[in-house]
Amino acid sequence: MTDVATHKPRSWRVMPAPSVVISIAAVLAAGLLGVVLIFAMGVSVSDALAAFIQGTVGTPYAIAASINRSIAFALVGIGFVIANRANLVNVGGEGQIAVGGIAATAVALYGHVEGLPAGLAFLIPLLAATVAGMLWGSIAAALKIKAGTNEVISTLLLSFIAVWLLYWCVQSPVLLRKPMTSSATLPESLEIPDATKLPLLTGDYSFPVHIGLPATVVIAIVAAIVLAKTVFGLRLRAVGFNPIAASRAGISYSRMVLLSLAAAGALGGLAGGFMLLGEQYVLKDGFSSGYGFDGLVAGLLARGSIVGVIAAALLFGFLRSGGINMEMVAAVPTALVMVIQGLIVVTLAGAAYFIGRRP
Amino acid sequence: MTWELFAVFVGSSLRLAVPLLLAGTGELVSERAGVLNMSIEGMMLAGAFAAAVGAWATGSPMLGLMICVIAVLPVALLQALLSNTLRANQIVTGIGINILILGATTLAYREIFGARSREQIPGLSKWSPPLLGNIPYFGEAVFQQVWLLYAGLAIIALTALVLRYTSIGLVVHAAGAEPRAVDKSGISVTLVRYLVVIFAGFMSALAGAFLSIGDIHTFTEGMTRGAGYLAIAAVIFGKWTIGGCILACLLFGAATALQFQLPTLGIDVPNALLIMLPYLLALLAVGGLTGRQTAPRALGEPYFRR
Repeated sequence: MTDVATHKPRSWRVMPAPSVVISIAAVLAAGLLGVVLIFAMGVSVSDALAAFIQGTVGTPYAIAASINRSIAFALVGIGFVIANRANLVNVGGEGQIAVGGIAATAVALYGHVEGLPAGLAFLIPLLAATVAGMLWGSIAAALKIKAGTNEVISTLLLSFIAVWLLYWCVQSPVLLRKPMTSSATLPESLEIPDATKLPLLTGDYSFPVHIGLPATVVIAIVAAIVLAKTVFGLRLRAVGFNPIAASRAGISYSRMVLLSLAAAGALGGLAGGFMLLGEQYVLKDGFSSGYGFDGLVAGLLARGSIVGVIAAALLFGFLRSGGINMEMVAAVPTALVMVIQGLIVVTLAGAAYFIGRRP
Repeated sequence: MTWELFAVFVGSSLRLAVPLLLAGTGELVSERAGVLNMSIEGMMLAGAFAAAVGAWATGSPMLGLMICVIAVLPVALLQALLSNTLRANQIVTGIGINILILGATTLAYREIFGARSREQIPGLSKWSPPLLGNIPYFGEAVFQQVWLLYAGLAIIALTALVLRYTSIGLVVHAAGAEPRAVDKSGISVTLVRYLVVIFAGFMSALAGAFLSIGDIHTFTEGMTRGAGYLAIAAVIFGKWTIGGCILACLLFGAATALQFQLPTLGIDVPNALLIMLPYLLALLAVGGLTGRQTAPRALGEPYFRR
């Protein structure tokens, strides 16, 4: 248990130095092990690394794809950090992305939004995605408040449910599946109208970074300020350290649980909205493709720091892109990236013992 | 519904419930002693993979089963080391291990099987108890099962007896409720908690082996599909009692069996809804259908002497 009396209030300081060193060491060690594994598989390490670098920074398109991935990871990770301030662990990013994607598709296709002016055509679907994610996160909060259900297990189960909900939506013609013209019609939605697609920063499809990037930067800054400098941030931390003491001080535990999990869910839903409206344009089975878990790992790795989340999200965004290209070019399965991520999480969780702070 | 179909339904419910029952019992013992073991999903997957590879490489499902139990031991030791000695956050370590195992088994599967992925893996043989096997309809559909199912049920029954009637059971319960008292009585809490995690690993290994070489005779990437999390939900649903946990696992098994049964009855329910059903039931279950929850008091808190 953390002793509240001796705990120095965290100021603007990002994170203590030893944990930065250990985080970087863990990432490097896991990466090195990845190289060893590539070698053990009998693949030429130089070929694999060349494919990796080509896939991460080789072309403007690769860089943009990595950044777009990082946006989703960062949003889920920021949500994780917010909930984690209240000592809650949101493992539901995957499901929140899925419901966000479903809501964004439904509104973009059937919400009659494409004729609206001033960007409302894509802002309304984004809002729908955010609200859907928020509601999905709130279910876990409601269960926690009403029945004391551990949010880890409820958010995990909600993720499974959301992923199958997505499958249902794209399988069923009465839901979001595109009209069946033949038996070969794929189980996916129609492509969303052009007006509902997110504008690209450069307007050029060879570097397709969308407006989610500036939006995410703003959200990250706001989240960092709210957590570090506002009464709300302080209350979250108070609830996280000691719910009983916090409630004696007049802070409502239920309110904090609801607000933080709803915020985490909203960010996950928004990530799903960005993914659909900014890159994929068509809702398919497997839409969330593990992004929720990558975002969760980014959040874990960051140890409560928003700057850390951004760094980890960028790392994983580029790692994923490189991993995908390695699979295509050098026949190294992308599962290698998961091995590296798992090692990072396990190492950091174990290392917390030596630096006296737990994630 | 005819008797015949009903018997098939009961048989497949039981078969689908067995991995949950095994892993759930392991998790129950671990949680009663105070260790929240999120990694049973990963340990099941590791077990399923090791059993499949072992059985395929040696040609003997029995050797596959032994290889599976040995292969999961280091994973269980890693979880035990992290959650007891290094006092790491048990949820974080569990999720980390699950990601690691999912990646590692997928990678190794592609490396080992690759193009041979369609190859049949030798599976465990079936057995039916005398007399019971002769009941009309039910004999074949319900009791003609892989022998590991019966062995597993026997282990679960034995575990229930040990927990209820022996001093071992008392120590396990006490380690989760009053670890300090256990320590004062001269028994090492750390040792008890290492052993329960290893037990959970053993049970998860059996559960995984049942999935791969007991049920479908093959391995697929990420084949546990959250069964480990369902097992954890079953422990919560059963209010940390072994009887409750068993009932919950049987319920989830029956819910899973419905997705194969309803279509044969001509009942048109969306497939996705049926696949979702066990998770939905689990969510309702942990969401307070059973009332306020009564977790072991020291659950998830690493123990150390002050």
